Amino acid sequence: MNPFVRFILRRLAFLFLTFFIFSLIIFALPRAIPGNPLASLLYQIIQQAQSNPDLVKAVHKKLLEEFGMDKPIHIQLFEFFGRMLRGDLGTSIAFYPRKVVDLVLAYLPWSLGLLMPATITAWILGNLLGALAAYKRKTVTDNVFLTIFITLSQTPYYWLAMILLYTLAVVLKIFPLSGAYSRGMSPSLTLPFIIDMLHHYMLPFLSIVIGAIGGWAIGMRTMVIYELKADYVSFVDSLGLSDRKILQYVFRNSMLPQITGLAINLGLMLGGSLITELVFSYPGTGFLIFRALSTLDYPLIQGTFFLLVSTLLLANFLVDLIYAFVDPRVRTGYVGE
Amino acid sequence: MMPRIPRIIKELFKIKKLDISLAIFVGIILVGVLGPLLYPVSPFERVGRPESPPSASAPLGTDARGRDVLALVIGGIRNSLYIGIIAALIALSIGVIIGVIAGYKGGITDNLLMLMTDVVLVLPSILIMMLIAAYLKERNPIFVSLVIGVTSWPWVARAVRAQMMSLKAREFIYMSKIAGLRDARIIFEDLLPNMASYIFMAFVLLMSGAMIAEAGLSMIGLGVTRGISLGIILYWAQLFESVRRGLWWWFMPPGACLVALASSLLLLSTALDEYFSPRLKGG
Amino acid sequence: MTILEAKNVKAYYSTPIGYVKAVDGVNLTLERGIILGLAGESGCGKSTFVNTLMMNVNPPLHLIDGKIILDGKEISKMDRATLKKKVWGVLVSLVPQSALNALMPTKKIIDLIKDVIKHHMDIPDSEVLSMAKKRFEELNLKVDALYMYPHELSGGMKQRAVIAISTLLNPKLLIVDEPTSALDVSTQKQVLKILLNLKKSKIIESMIFVTHDIAILRQIADWITIMYAGKIVELGTVDDMLYDPKHPYTYSLINSVVTPEPEVRSRGLVALTGEPPNLINPPKGCRFHPRCPKAVEICRIKEPPLEKKGGRLVACHLVSS
Repeated sequence: MNPFVRFILRRLAFLFLTFFIFSLIIFALPRAIPGNPLASLLYQIIQQAQSNPDLVKAVHKKLLEEFGMDKPIHIQLFEFFGRMLRGDLGTSIAFYPRKVVDLVLAYLPWSLGLLMPATITAWILGNLLGALAAYKRKTVTDNVFLTIFITLSQTPYYWLAMILLYTLAVVLKIFPLSGAYSRGMSPSLTLPFIIDMLHHYMLPFLSIVIGAIGGWAIGMRTMVIYELKADYVSFVDSLGLSDRKILQYVFRNSMLPQITGLAINLGLMLGGSLITELVFSYPGTGFLIFRALSTLDYPLIQGTFFLLVSTLLLANFLVDLIYAFVDPRVRTGYVGE
Repeated sequence: MMPRIPRIIKELFKIKKLDISLAIFVGIILVGVLGPLLYPVSPFERVGRPESPPSASAPLGTDARGRDVLALVIGGIRNSLYIGIIAALIALSIGVIIGVIAGYKGGITDNLLMLMTDVVLVLPSILIMMLIAAYLKERNPIFVSLVIGVTSWPWVARAVRAQMMSLKAREFIYMSKIAGLRDARIIFEDLLPNMASYIFMAFVLLMSGAMIAEAGLSMIGLGVTRGISLGIILYWAQLFESVRRGLWWWFMPPGACLVALASSLLLLSTALDEYFSPRLKGG
Repeated sequence: MTILEAKNVKAYYSTPIGYVKAVDGVNLTLERGIILGLAGESGCGKSTFVNTLMMNVNPPLHLIDGKIILDGKEISKMDRATLKKKVWGVLVSLVPQSALNALMPTKKIIDLIKDVIKHHMDIPDSEVLSMAKKRFEELNLKVDALYMYPHELSGGMKQRAVIAISTLLNPKLLIVDEPTSALDVSTQKQVLKILLNLKKSKIIESMIFVTHDIAILRQIADWITIMYAGKIVELGTVDDMLYDPKHPYTYSLINSVVTPEPEVRSRGLVALTGEPPNLINPPKGCRFHPRCPKAVEICRIKEPPLEKKGGRLVACHLVSS
């Protein structure tokens, strides 16, 4: 079998395994944690029967049905996976009677639209800066860069967001204060809307990019410094190949582990960007999660996490694919360490 | 091993990066530890008009409930550090144990352990933490540390395993094996001491990551249910719209402290790496 | 006609504790058409020396003093860019010690060749391809290898590919740095055969062959020179050196190896005691005197000059002209 195909199949198997384990965790958590959160939630809802008895009764019935608390555990598990495969992630409590899936899918595009471009931009810029710093290693420039990178890499996106929001939106009033678009406007593909949206997009975007650049730069710098000492570099150097061309070679080889790094860091970046959305009141899944957490809307909490992690696993897989394609050693079946 | 430590410490201090980062880190710790003594203001009491900017009586101003921000930050530093250390210790223990066993045993054990490690690695720790924390009504610092520690260990396991595998192939291990020493003894007497510097650096990195993770959890309201931490101060600052209302003295100091703590730790670990790596390769 | 002239070359490494005098006042004249073997213990500065000879000098190594004239051009005065464009790969090439990792792992061999050649000459891709094919065939490498990635080649193939690439532009001088250390005996023989063939077919005119393996030198070198502590201690024809080594260090080197040559074997096996000297503070007088079984008083005081004595150059007080 083609080694490339074998690699893909292995990653696919891993993807399914992780997905399965994650689903199990989601299923088991509310039922396993001491204090039985589900039961207490149900109890709480019953307690509120005085305010709106009909609504509460409906919610209670829905919850009971979806979580199947009265049925034996294996039936619960079976129904859980069954519903999941049918695309039914339950009904939200806070937003009753909207379905969880619909809610998440409504908010998800905003989060992805923010995270994806920001991740790629930060990755590219970070790698370029890191290579530059490595090229100038042991000079003052490098030291200054490194300190900046280190500090930036440890700055949470959301705090950076607060700083940017304060300086650029509150004090200097260049950018809007919140939201993904101005109040009164509704999403459409018209130019005024797009411009308005981009205007609102800038600060959240910058928060994530600036916050993420540091980490990539540090990693790339280390890789390039390491690669510059490689045998293949000294060989082509002694054959007279120009320094610029050599840097191209090194950059190319250093990028490969950075692609793998992208897959690993996607999860962290997702978490950070969700919290950043809060600061800007950006209508993404961050807002949804926050709402769900504060109202203990378990179906929504579960469902949002489920979809987010699934998207993440998929993205992971895609990155693996790209890596396998780009690294000739994997493409042509390198066997060895 | 014992007589070597003072000499190592002496030589470490010759590295400028190390001095600076250590100074910053220790400085902040001292603020947190000695703070309550030198600045005996309670972070929970109302000391003045709410939301007032820095003044003589409150050097960092007050928050929405009139509490002294400086006192809040001092208290926050302590808790953030505390949780950071505990979480780092938990993650370190899990990571080192798994890494050592996988690296030493090899074969099926290694494959299974690494598969488990990869699964935990891929699942986004922040989201998993949020999920677990969401179901816990009462969250004390130990719980929070546990949640963070249990999701942050995979990279440590991988790194320790790699170190283990390269050390295992060295001659002095073969000699111990030929001499018939038991595995456990080889691990403790031969292998672990050689990884000591590496494990220490891993701890430093884990600690800085844990503090940031705690802040992230707190920001969405899933931190400790009672008490303060730098993240919780930011949570309240966010909730009371401090940014849009221009109350910069409320959200800037806790974040700045967090960044300073975490980056000084990272700088420290790069300085340590500079010191230990050339030696490991040469020696 | 000389291809290479080194006059009083001093190349030192600057370290926090002082200068490491890896090459300390070396004079060498290499005639065209000669294969010169350079031998010595590991770490005596052979690699540093040959790299300095082609002016591949990177900090912390610095050329402190001396002149190097290659093919009539004073390369010790050239800047790095000129060296890269006009000298390296074109006039002189270095085949590195480790060929296993010398090839860029993420480029096909032919692409690597194109990059190297096109840096020096502006010729179309098709011409580069035919040059490469021809040289590969001459070195017994299948042409398919050109379209492969390095990891798809065997160790021996990689070694030959590296030699092929180094010689593509027909440099006048080829410096080969320990090409056989990492190879098994049969592959060693292959590599030596290739190098000799290159010389025979006049693709390569002159060669400097660095090794610590004395037995190899017999098979390939015309002349042999021995280095110790940053200085040349003896230089002579291969027969002279192997059958009648004059300098005590040369004698120990050659007789510390088990070889089939009866002349050598009859002298018995010799073990060289002690350690290579500290190059930051080399011993006073003759640098070999602490380990020399024949050292006398003058050896400790005065450094013996490298002089012509009986058809060879030797630096030893005890050798008569």
